[in-house]
Amino acid sequence: MTANTASTMTLLSRGRHIASITPRGELLAPPRMTATALRLLVQVCLVVYLWRGLYAHTDSSAGLDETQAVTYAVLAVLANRIRGLDRRAGRDTVIQHLHFGTIVYWYLRPMSPRRYYALRALGDQLYGFGWVLAGYALSLAVGIVVPPSSYEVAAVFAVSMLLGQLVLYYVMMLVDLLCFWTLRNESALLILVFAQNLLSGVYAPLWYFPDWFITLSAFLPFQATLGVPLSIYVGRIGVDDAFVQMAVQGVWIVLLALFTRWLWDRAGRRVVAQGG
Amino acid sequence: MTTRTTMTAFLHSWRVAWRITRLNFKARLEYRGEFLLGIATGAIWQVSIIVFASVLLTRFPGLGGWSSTDVLLIASMRMLAHGLYVLFLGRVQYMNILVQEGIVDPCLIRPMPVYRQIQLNFFPVNAIGDLVVAVGLFVAALQRSSLDWTAGRIAYVVAGVIGGMLVEAALFTALAAAAFHFPATSYWSQWLEELMGTFGSYPLSILPKAVSAAFTFVVPLAFIAYFPAGVLTGHGGDMGVPEALAVASPLIGLAAFVLSRLLWNWSLGKYTGVNG
Repeated sequence: MTANTASTMTLLSRGRHIASITPRGELLAPPRMTATALRLLVQVCLVVYLWRGLYAHTDSSAGLDETQAVTYAVLAVLANRIRGLDRRAGRDTVIQHLHFGTIVYWYLRPMSPRRYYALRALGDQLYGFGWVLAGYALSLAVGIVVPPSSYEVAAVFAVSMLLGQLVLYYVMMLVDLLCFWTLRNESALLILVFAQNLLSGVYAPLWYFPDWFITLSAFLPFQATLGVPLSIYVGRIGVDDAFVQMAVQGVWIVLLALFTRWLWDRAGRRVVAQGG
Repeated sequence: MTTRTTMTAFLHSWRVAWRITRLNFKARLEYRGEFLLGIATGAIWQVSIIVFASVLLTRFPGLGGWSSTDVLLIASMRMLAHGLYVLFLGRVQYMNILVQEGIVDPCLIRPMPVYRQIQLNFFPVNAIGDLVVAVGLFVAALQRSSLDWTAGRIAYVVAGVIGGMLVEAALFTALAAAAFHFPATSYWSQWLEELMGTFGSYPLSILPKAVSAAFTFVVPLAFIAYFPAGVLTGHGGDMGVPEALAVASPLIGLAAFVLSRLLWNWSLGKYTGVNG
């Protein structure tokens, strides 16, 4: 075995261990997993009832029929689960590390903070994806969600969803990085969560919103996280138009990746261990 | 102890509470950016609910048999109740963090009720934003309403809003009681807040009867604004419960809060610290 291969193996092993922190932590907390399952189940049932109730007296609204609206809403609830982990309980959010001064350990490990952050996020998102898949299979089996209209749509949706998750990863990272400069920014974090939920179409598909709202959303990265892939899935964005939207997702990824990389370099120079 | 001494002690304790509140307010002003963002957080949270509500009302007129003016009254009463809850009693929602960080322990030996100390932990800047938007929406709802605002109706609106505040406080106080022993309750707390934001502002008649009953007797968010607004707008007979129960919403809010405080006191008595 060459030195390079050994080094790659060590890196992979470290990466696997870091990415598995979240799944292992969750598996050791059965009450939390039960709560997750219960919350997902109830939330899915509620949105199905809500949208079926809304469509009780109309066949179509904003270009979406009842089946499309219910499918979109259920998938939005499930997809939201990907980033619904409670890292705060484990004192493992960036703002907590900055508050308690433990962020310095990120800079003492034989791995860059940026890579550690990426691997932790990967573990979070893969774990959340497991829940999404289980929920999706169940929803499909009971008929509250319809499958994509063709293999082509399914493939384009899968790629767009992956791009959307990357945009989401960078947006969340951007707010975490903000903590290095502001120290107190719980409000900014909350505002981002509201903005993300509203402007990405978690509460309701953006197609229902007024034109000015849709135009505003087009200049922000949020709809690229969820609104675009889900609209492709339900057929509100056709496959031909989807490529333009995916190109926009790609542009957001490049811009955010460059900007966050620049911020990571500067964040390290500002690390302060509060309390001495 | 004479009545006069009791009164003096009562006034003294509230004077202390007022002084602590003033100091908390000054402390929040130390971080000006965070202070302004805090106000924005409350406002944006409320605006996101208004946007969602207006989308539903525009796209699906006649929500559950209610006119848009009547739905606006539910939404504005709930927002006012929420804003007041955040201002006066909302710190109970951070109980899990206080337990985790061991901040509850010194509270046990100070000469002030623990619940009051928790409420005086910091000044809720976001309540300012919450209340500004809520008052704006409430005024708009009153202007659009064709109801005759007699003294009785005005008194009932005030009682309904206070009752709504107490129902919300009761739910979060009950969760806080659990946080003494299971600090990872933030997950449930976020869900509860999300449920209230999503389903507390609309007529529950849009949902199936079983779900509507669950929101009345299991998670009683129907008492926050749906029932009081229904009584005021003449929907008292078609809300799925005896009209007398809907009319009694403010009293039920008070009873729920008293019960939750008893539960909280009982849980506090069993508190042993997170490390056993």
